[in-house]
Amino acid sequence: MSYARLQHGGPLRRAFVFLGLTLFVVWSAGPILWLLLTSVLQQKALIQQPPDLSLENFTLANFTAVIASAASLGRGIVNSLVVASFSTTVALAVGAPAAYALARLPVPRANGIAFLILATQMLPGIAIAIPLFIVISKLGLIDNVFSLGVVYLSFNLPIVVWILRGFFLGIPWGIEKAAAVDGAGIFATFWHVILPISWSPLVASAVFAFVEAWNEFFFALILTRQQAQTVPLVIAQFAGQYQTVFGQMMAAAVISVAPVILLAILFRNQIIRGFADGMMKG
Amino acid sequence: MIKTYEQRRRRAGLLFVAPGLILLVAILGFPIVDSLLLSLQRVQLTGGSVSQNWVGPENFQRLFADPVFWKAAVNTAYFSVMEVILVTLASLGVALLLNHPMGRSGLFRVLLIVPWAIAPVANAVLWKWILNANYGVLNAILKSLGVIEYNQVWLGTPFSALNFLLIVDVWKSVPFVALLMLAGLQRVPQSLYRAAYMDGAGPLQNFLYVTLPNMRGILAIAIILQTIWSLRVFDLVFVLTHGGPADATVILNFLAYRVTFNFLDLGYGSAIANIIFVLTFLLATIYVWLLWPRQPGGTR
Repeated sequence: MSYARLQHGGPLRRAFVFLGLTLFVVWSAGPILWLLLTSVLQQKALIQQPPDLSLENFTLANFTAVIASAASLGRGIVNSLVVASFSTTVALAVGAPAAYALARLPVPRANGIAFLILATQMLPGIAIAIPLFIVISKLGLIDNVFSLGVVYLSFNLPIVVWILRGFFLGIPWGIEKAAAVDGAGIFATFWHVILPISWSPLVASAVFAFVEAWNEFFFALILTRQQAQTVPLVIAQFAGQYQTVFGQMMAAAVISVAPVILLAILFRNQIIRGFADGMMKG
Repeated sequence: MIKTYEQRRRRAGLLFVAPGLILLVAILGFPIVDSLLLSLQRVQLTGGSVSQNWVGPENFQRLFADPVFWKAAVNTAYFSVMEVILVTLASLGVALLLNHPMGRSGLFRVLLIVPWAIAPVANAVLWKWILNANYGVLNAILKSLGVIEYNQVWLGTPFSALNFLLIVDVWKSVPFVALLMLAGLQRVPQSLYRAAYMDGAGPLQNFLYVTLPNMRGILAIAIILQTIWSLRVFDLVFVLTHGGPADATVILNFLAYRVTFNFLDLGYGSAIANIIFVLTFLLATIYVWLLWPRQPGGTR
């Protein structure tokens, strides 16, 4: 057996891989295609079994109906944008220097601190949600996008620190030494030398944090009432109220997930590499 | 005073780390401590004000005598164990497929990232439609294949509802874990495979003696993350079944939520939340101890 043959396998293994890949594509793409397809079908096509996929049943009416009827969806999208942007920005501003220090500067017990930051992710949301709910109620800040955004830092900051630390650990030391020889201070080195070469992990962690915040449901359910409701809450309510208007339900779901899915597809390589680096270099 | 370069680096390090740490401690420190304290109190919400009385371990005594708690514990154990096993095996399978020269197309990566980015709530809404008893596409497909004769109410019977929750969550979880594992597979040095080839190793031996040992760390991470994630599943239960039928899909996390925010029994809810926390921590410790890559000398 040649080495190439060992890697690629014989006809039997190739057939097996092909079958596996086909199954994988059907299994992962199927539900998503069904979501897209049924969001542009009329109700009368959907309540037939099997669904009537003839061309005249395709329509954009579900989307226009959802946009027209659910004012809460528009508000939800704005709220989600504010909450996700706020918590992502703060997480990056605070997390990037912290990640750099934990990777490169002589911080006492840097590895221990990095591990503790990751360990906070083991906390079940419900455990911190109850005390947070009591405190935020007492402060009168329930149903406020910024109190929700601050709570989201509890998971966004660790994500950012982990992804960026993984990257910073892999930068060759020579770059910082050269900067020091040229007389750059530590802040200048970080700002003018390190950050400009860290674009891709910065983007990865930002997209990651943004997606997590956009999709978060549990804290939003507990900490908002109406004014600060985010998209997932609106969708959940919508699905409860209009659970027989399938096309509109799917259209609402498509609208709510489209922005982050586009982001994720656009930056998929950075996200994957960033996350894998952060996890494996710890 | 003139400081040495090393001293300046040390000071900068503290300045860089401090804001992040302070922020995390400020957001999480108090809730962690308070959650423990709350579980030892009877906390009631009446008319917008909170009344708190110390009751010692009463909440925990109640907990261990509560059949609903035990039911939720059994559901959670089943759900988490199955989820971790299924997700790990399926993800490893998908990663191996995509690491094969035929699976390197960029399209597959798109397919893997999309289920991760879909909001769990939107995902639950989508599956509620797929599983719909009257018009759902699952019934349509199975009927046309002749697997079932009549439409089934998939979320209507206890056993089936819990298993469908499991399937839906596995569907959403596999892609991201597979991506992690794929990254791990691609880091196994090619020279090891060449050396194994020189020694006459076949595909199976390659997998068992080269791939798996090198994947130990990443498998550990995947299993730990999946355990943590499976214990905090909430959105899916909330949208798909709301715990029903007959509490068959009440898992501990959902029970803690229901007790706290529907029955407004905050102390009891905190007690359940602490049980989940201890459980997560113990499991993660055990996994780290068992699966973390060992150095050749046998040290850890």
